Amino acid sequence: MVTWRIIPFKRHDPFENMAIDEAIFRTHQRGGESPVVRFYGWKNPAVSLGYFQDAEEEIDCAYCRGKGIDIVRRPTGGKAVLHGDDLTYSLVAGESIPPFSHDVVETYRIISGCIIRGLAKSGIDVQMVEEGRGGVGSAGSFCFATSYKNELLVGGRKICGSAQVRTRGAFLQHGSVLIDFDPLAVCAAMGRTGDAGGAQEIEAAVTSVREMIGGDVSVDDLCLNIAAGFEEVLHMRLVEGGLSPGEEALRDRLLEEKYVRDEWNLKGGRTGSGY
Amino acid sequence: MSFPNDLIYSSEHTWVRVDGDIATVGITGYAQDKLDEILSVELFPIDSSVEQGEPFGVIESVKGATELISPVSGDIVSVNEDLADDVGILNSDAYDTGWMIVVEMSDVGELDNLMDAETYTDYVEANEEDD
Repeated sequence: MVTWRIIPFKRHDPFENMAIDEAIFRTHQRGGESPVVRFYGWKNPAVSLGYFQDAEEEIDCAYCRGKGIDIVRRPTGGKAVLHGDDLTYSLVAGESIPPFSHDVVETYRIISGCIIRGLAKSGIDVQMVEEGRGGVGSAGSFCFATSYKNELLVGGRKICGSAQVRTRGAFLQHGSVLIDFDPLAVCAAMGRTGDAGGAQEIEAAVTSVREMIGGDVSVDDLCLNIAAGFEEVLHMRLVEGGLSPGEEALRDRLLEEKYVRDEWNLKGGRTGSGY
Repeated sequence: MSFPNDLIYSSEHTWVRVDGDIATVGITGYAQDKLDEILSVELFPIDSSVEQGEPFGVIESVKGATELISPVSGDIVSVNEDLADDVGILNSDAYDTGWMIVVEMSDVGELDNLMDAETYTDYVEANEEDD
């Protein structure tokens, strides 16, 4: 059976998390071997912005700084996510690796199928969105307030949001499975502190693993189940590994030159060049 | 899917219109199909240097960012500002007013690495079969 690498769950700071994902992606597109699945958490709370989002327009930067919430820009598209009580996954693969393709939406559909299978093992019945819906209320810049085709809902409420970047025949998709969820915290980070109405709207549109299970959640079990979902849907076996020396070196460079810098995190700019 | 015969194409799904050492660059209809709904395009500014096989911008589609890979090396001498106002041009007129950048090429010989319309059509069909 074909084997892919899995990098087991570990918490990192927000900047390191993005540097690791991009290092794996850049290394893979330059001739990496098998696809890579990674699970990770966040050492401290953070808002991740989509590649194209404007920090000042989308979130309350001063509030975030005051609360110790880091702001990091992702290499992927999509909208803002408040991280902390979530399990994040990433998958790096070539577009030509079966069953993936050049088709962005189809790739979402396949990966969503893996997450559905995994969450079912945790007792959560997740459905894939057939048609997307716009953002709810005043938090349209928040990832979980919006759902697109092939994203994941439980009873009409979003539980997992994902985003992609692709180039040179490879893609990186990462996504966030909500373990717990605080709508007021989301509103505050999005610049709407105390917006009870907005929080209610978001709460009605979003759910979490904890809410669905009705009790404590083991992150290890969740990782095991979602990993099994990937294996079963994609007909491969995941083998634990770490970063290669080349990936580690690129992670360090990306961290220093890109992800710890306000110039990138708050303003964005030319990406990819030189990596 | 057919592609204009007067253009040449890269494996990263860009097209090139050549006039001496000047290359006008855009993306093909095939690339657009695979991106789903395009929301915006971010291009490197005038006077930037680009290299064959390296990025010259990023396309935003729903939930995705896709790097645009330059088919030629040289300096960007013009950028299509109209795309910032109406990215729909990419869909309606991809091979003419939907151009993206104009590059003054530093190595015209690199064009040998690109494909004519017939070869690109075969390349796309092979990709579709793989999918």
